[in-house]
Amino acid sequence: MSDKQAKPQAKRPPGTCVPWEEKVKELPPISGDKELVERLWKDIDALGYVYIWQCLLSF
Amino acid sequence: MATETTPNQADRMEQLYAQRLKRYVTAMRNEKPDCVPIRPFVAEFTAKYAGYTSQEVSYDYEKAFAAARRCAADFDWDAVVGNMVYGWMALVKAIGLRYYAVPGIEIPPHSAFQYLEPPEDQAWMREDEYDLLIEDPTGYLFNVWLPRVSDDVVPIGQPATFRNNLSFLKGGMAMLQYFMGFGTQAERLRKESGTVSAISGILKAPFDIIADKLRGYKGLCMDMYRQPKKVLAACEAMMPHLLHVALSGADPANNVPIGLWMHRGCVPFLSPAQFERFYWPTLKQIIEAIWARGHQVLFYAEGEWNPNLKYIAQLPERSIIYHVDRGDVFEVHRAVGHKFCLSGGIPNDLLAFGTPEEVRACCKKVIDGVARDGGYIMDASAIMQDDTRVENLRAMTEATREHGVY
Repeated sequence: MSDKQAKPQAKRPPGTCVPWEEKVKELPPISGDKELVERLWKDIDALGYVYIWQCLLSF
Repeated sequence: MATETTPNQADRMEQLYAQRLKRYVTAMRNEKPDCVPIRPFVAEFTAKYAGYTSQEVSYDYEKAFAAARRCAADFDWDAVVGNMVYGWMALVKAIGLRYYAVPGIEIPPHSAFQYLEPPEDQAWMREDEYDLLIEDPTGYLFNVWLPRVSDDVVPIGQPATFRNNLSFLKGGMAMLQYFMGFGTQAERLRKESGTVSAISGILKAPFDIIADKLRGYKGLCMDMYRQPKKVLAACEAMMPHLLHVALSGADPANNVPIGLWMHRGCVPFLSPAQFERFYWPTLKQIIEAIWARGHQVLFYAEGEWNPNLKYIAQLPERSIIYHVDRGDVFEVHRAVGHKFCLSGGIPNDLLAFGTPEEVRACCKKVIDGVARDGGYIMDASAIMQDDTRVENLRAMTEATREHGVY
């Protein structure tokens, strides 16, 4: 099993709260570096994921 | 405040750290180091030793860190956990979690914190909510579980409150602060006493976490009969997330293992047949996936696990460090000692009520029986709370240094 192999229909794959594909639809067309915006969205979104799963596992 | 060290002291600590890390890692790879490493899981024992109450170390993690460093400096141990008490009760209260009895509040200040399991009909996850969990585990936790287990978080659809908003802000920032503290603690253990941080990252078995925090043990037992396919599907749904969390906290240098703390997999909580069907398949896959990335798992087999040894033997060689609690450590060694490093096996009741002479004799017997070819780490059977006698832990340490040299 791979951590990347979430079921195709999974709403939120591991490490994700609000998928980038969902967020990007809310933004105006990105004229600058789209990869930068996407990467930082994912990095910060992952902190929300850490929060809820660590609440479950560690606290 | 950090202890001041001279250049010579710093060099000496770094040499000691390197020696201990090599000893610890060599044993974990099921090989023979220079001597048997000592890695005691000391929890509330550290509070007693350092002069704190259980309330102080569970509520103020800086005191817990200080207590662990004090023990590491005073005992000749190779590795310790930065804070084996682990649960931070101030955070628990800051976000209003309902499933704890907190020292100094719900229970006396000298008691260790307790997990509370609600009555079956008030389980944190209801019996008809499996599909919600299976479809979207992260969404379920945020939208259904957290509002139910927290005094402050309001359910989806209800008006937001000041306390709701504050819960996420305070909880998120405090959690980050706490986890960052473990990095500092590891550095201080290394520099101040040459001690290795024993584990990195956390893993729970899918079945365990459903029992512990969602359905409750009794509810999950009924579900295994009433809706077994849902239980299996829930374990499958949790699996990739638990793997992800485990890997995200793993040691990037692949030296120390990910801690796996197991609660309900052993006899008598599950029969071997239930273990084979419900508990084992998803946990096995997770451990194999972790090992494929080069990380070991500290397989903390709390309780009596010997009836499940034939399953554990299926795991890849060296993928786990098998920690023995109530099981017969000699039987474990005969069954899986050729594949995995073992740790533990010194009974906690002996450390609490026995004499130092009895402890020394037990340590010698275990070392002679299971550590002849390496692949053994000295520790008590279970996490040591404040009933462990200081003189007995000192005896365990001295006996290991005396009899555990190769």
